[in-house]
Amino acid sequence: MSTKEERERIELLQGTLDLLILRTLLLGPAHGHAIAKAIEFNSDEVLQVEQGSLYPALHRLIKRRWIAAEEGTSENNRRAKFYRLTRAGRKQLKVETSKWDKLAGAIARILRPAE
Amino acid sequence: MGRSKRMLDELDADIREHIERETQDNIERGMTPEEAHYAAVRKFGNVTRVKEETRDVWRVVWLDELWQDIRYGLRMLRKSSAFAAVAVLTLALGIGANTAIFSLIDAVMLRSLPVEKPSELVVLRWSARKAPRINGYMSSGDCPSNLRYGAANPSGCSFSEPIFREVRNTNQFSGVAAFANAGPLALTGNGPASMISGQLVSGDFFHTLGLKAAAGRVLEMSDDSPTATPVAVLNYGYWQSSFGGAQNAVGRTIELNGAAFTIVGVVEQRFTGITPGSDYDVWLPLAAGSRISNPRMWDNREEKVTYWWLTILGRLKAEAPMLQAQAAISGMFRNEVLHGSISLFEAGAGMPGPPEPRGGGVPASRQVVMGGPPPAGARAVPPPPGGPQGSTVVQGAAPPAARGQGAARIQAPFPPVAQGQAPLDAAPDAPNEPRTLSKPDDEPTVTLVNAQTGLTGARGRFANPLYVLMFAVGIILLTACSNVAGLMLARAAARQKEMALRLALGAGRMRIVRQLLTESLLLAASGGILGILFALWGSHAIISFVANNQPRPLTFATGLDLRVLGFTVAISLFTGILFGLAPAFRSVRVDVTPRLKEGFSASTKISRGVGGRFSIGNALVVTQMALAIVVLVGAGLLVRTLQNLRSIDVGFDSHNLVIFGINPSLAGYQDAQIDSFYRDLQGRLTETPGVKSASYSMVPLLSGALMATMFNWPGTPQDRELESDVLEVGSNFFSTMQIPFVAGRGFTASDYEIAASAASRSAPPAVPTPVIVDQAFVAKFLGKENPLGKRFGQSAASQDGPASPGYEIIGVVRDTKYSDLRRETSPMMYVPQTMQGASFEVRTASDPQALVPAIRRTVAQINPNLPLRDVTTESQQIDRLLFQERLVARLSGLFGLLALALACIGLYGLLAYDVTRRTREIGIRSALGAQRGDVLRLVVKQGLWLALVGAAAGIGAALGVTRYLKAMLYDVSAYDPFTIVVVSALLVLVALVACLIPARRATNVDPMVALRYE
Repeated sequence: MSTKEERERIELLQGTLDLLILRTLLLGPAHGHAIAKAIEFNSDEVLQVEQGSLYPALHRLIKRRWIAAEEGTSENNRRAKFYRLTRAGRKQLKVETSKWDKLAGAIARILRPAE
Repeated sequence: MGRSKRMLDELDADIREHIERETQDNIERGMTPEEAHYAAVRKFGNVTRVKEETRDVWRVVWLDELWQDIRYGLRMLRKSSAFAAVAVLTLALGIGANTAIFSLIDAVMLRSLPVEKPSELVVLRWSARKAPRINGYMSSGDCPSNLRYGAANPSGCSFSEPIFREVRNTNQFSGVAAFANAGPLALTGNGPASMISGQLVSGDFFHTLGLKAAAGRVLEMSDDSPTATPVAVLNYGYWQSSFGGAQNAVGRTIELNGAAFTIVGVVEQRFTGITPGSDYDVWLPLAAGSRISNPRMWDNREEKVTYWWLTILGRLKAEAPMLQAQAAISGMFRNEVLHGSISLFEAGAGMPGPPEPRGGGVPASRQVVMGGPPPAGARAVPPPPGGPQGSTVVQGAAPPAARGQGAARIQAPFPPVAQGQAPLDAAPDAPNEPRTLSKPDDEPTVTLVNAQTGLTGARGRFANPLYVLMFAVGIILLTACSNVAGLMLARAAARQKEMALRLALGAGRMRIVRQLLTESLLLAASGGILGILFALWGSHAIISFVANNQPRPLTFATGLDLRVLGFTVAISLFTGILFGLAPAFRSVRVDVTPRLKEGFSASTKISRGVGGRFSIGNALVVTQMALAIVVLVGAGLLVRTLQNLRSIDVGFDSHNLVIFGINPSLAGYQDAQIDSFYRDLQGRLTETPGVKSASYSMVPLLSGALMATMFNWPGTPQDRELESDVLEVGSNFFSTMQIPFVAGRGFTASDYEIAASAASRSAPPAVPTPVIVDQAFVAKFLGKENPLGKRFGQSAASQDGPASPGYEIIGVVRDTKYSDLRRETSPMMYVPQTMQGASFEVRTASDPQALVPAIRRTVAQINPNLPLRDVTTESQQIDRLLFQERLVARLSGLFGLLALALACIGLYGLLAYDVTRRTREIGIRSALGAQRGDVLRLVVKQGLWLALVGAAAGIGAALGVTRYLKAMLYDVSAYDPFTIVVVSALLVLVALVACLIPARRATNVDPMVALRYE
């Protein structure tokens, strides 16, 4: 019925969700639901976020002051809490991205040494 | 943490929002609303878990762990309640003693002045190379002054009233005020006559200090004028106690020394006096000073530049820097005293080296002119009034009894200082400006001192003893800490298995250290709370001891303020960490595996490291012993000082002697009436049943008051003056005081007539004033010469006054102590009393205190409006004189014993633990044939060795420290071997007792039980 059952789903590595949230917010402030949707959509729905786990992650990022929350109204005039990247978060995103690149590259080299 | 609270509060709404959006999306994808909601919730996951995880993000982990540690710590302490009780009590004693002494230091030294913005307030202080040539100098003991005849580099805080007006005119301050002690005030018109204390203040005093009235109004500028109605402002406490706080007290009229004053208000409660420790019942305008004072003492001082009697306060302007104001005031002052109507300082006086080049190479010629004609340009100083020689220096508590003002010091009239006059016309090349002869630093200057530090008042007297006591209690605290550290170590050893188990189960070492530190902080906190209770009780006891030994109640506000509480919290934390840290780190340094393998009996193994010679436990006990010795030696020296002072031969019989002050001139008696009043009272007192004899003197002996006089000795140059103590006495003084005559006779009625005519300036005296001198006088001035009939102190007529025939010695008496016990007996002359204030001495047959009511009745028979002041006995007075020594000796002795007790408890604890630990060893030794005596010796030897090492270290430390006590000691060396030996013997003896208890237990070890124990 839902996509979960139809496709093969990839669980997120620990800590990766934080990176994805930061990357998503680089495009502009968004509310929680939109962030979850964006991650699913941008990964061709390969990455399945258990939507609830988004919230501890968001709070963790707020506590570290990498993102900030503010009240706003969404497109259809409903109350929504928007999350936005802070300056520190932007810096952190760069650090995390390069770390991820190194990790992914290293794993790829191990898995496909021939190529 | 507001951020987390807000975020979590909104979490529910956020989640609901999220699910609604997902539901909406699902509906748009074609699901039924029910299906859509179900799918959304499923996709979201477990809402409760999400919330919990989110909450966890914000949770402060260490706070939870701290709470956990505290609960665990409390449980552990409850489990070993004996240990906890000993530790908490030890710490409470240490912390309590520190808090008590600190609360005193806080009250006496640290509290800020009870005025608005005290930091802006400055007190003016003058200094110069030489004493100014003035007639009167009066200081109420508010700030230290070292003006003594002939003293170099004098300084002080008293100024003349013209200078005060000039200070106001410089406009350097946003407010200026001046004040002076009003002297003794006899109050009538509010119940029975009483003596109260008052302060003369300028009209802007209260406004400058920023004080408001609690009732009525404070003084205004308009009150401070000779033509204004005399008004008074009351102290709040005095208003409460003597007027019952009645609103209608304002507007009432009271009589002070016979002059009427209208009460216009009560000053706000917090203000009891500007100087810490001395407060006043009433404040009167400066202009009213002449109304309440004896004209002879008052001496028209308002207009005189030669009478310095006012302490001046200024409030700094916010925008003007202090140094700028200081430069302006100092310049004005220098100009006034050097070039004013009367030049009070010598330009160039005291100049040691060659003059400045600008002086034109003039040699520093100094011509001494004493009694000669004044040189050109210098004006004569008016002859000082009073006294046969006109040069009586009164020190300490003074004539009309500023006694009770503590450090009150009146030096009046001041001898004219005429030596060092540099005649200007002797320097032909000198420019007209006299100041060019002097270097700038020779000249009188004024510095502005922050009032908080400048107005020391009674603080000065308490500073030294308080610091000594603070040092002692600091050591007590260290002893307590090391004591508890020893207990903790023993406990840590017993808990090694627990620690090993926890480490093995994966507990972090830091986590365990934190746990153990929490336990020690818990102990320290409990000790701190209990300590505050001890401190409240202790400081109260000390303050009431101090207060009972003051002629006037001391009003240091004590009690807990934030500073004291902060101090206690700080030392509790400090001690907690200090005694907790070492054992804690030791505990986690265990090697896990062997400890677990050994089982509970691990510690019974023979001679494992813990009991080694230089273990921490031993070191702690040695430290405690050493610290105890330091406190005990200090205490011993102070106790010996007190004993020495107590056993001094004062030279007269101080038992069964009532003394009281009385001043009939305050009730309007005039010259001759006063004399006859004294004779009358003396006669009636002598006839009172129970009284053996009665006499009077200007001040009582051993009251802290001291008078001295200068005179010329025949055959020496006229400019050389000698100094002797002097006391005016009534008839029968020597027989009443039981001061034996060595030669000659006592005063007769005709002697009093001669003295009276010498004192009155109307008729120049023809015959020398008869005097009685003491043995020290004879020894110093006469040697082997026969003193009887010797004349001295003659002077020719001069600007100082008419010719004087001087004195003639008619008798010699034994030496006595005069002002206080510590002062060496000095040359002393007794002259027949002609002055107005007097203290009566009444020799009683039995308990002097019982006779006080009868004495009061006798005085009231003559005049019920005459208040007595300072009614006391000579022994009480000596106690008062020694109160500081008694206080310090008592407290330091107490602290010394406390340190000793703590050290011995520490020793006992260590040995007791050791014996338990070595039960098996002792059992084996017994089984192998060791006798009870051997076992006893084994334990006692260890204990005694520790005590001896500690004592040796302590003596070394004490020798380094006791020299700081030197100023407080009397007739005992700071390195007094007797004290050191006695104290060390005491320590070793007590240590021996502490050893014996565990040693006896060791002898009772049954070898069979001990060996099976494993």
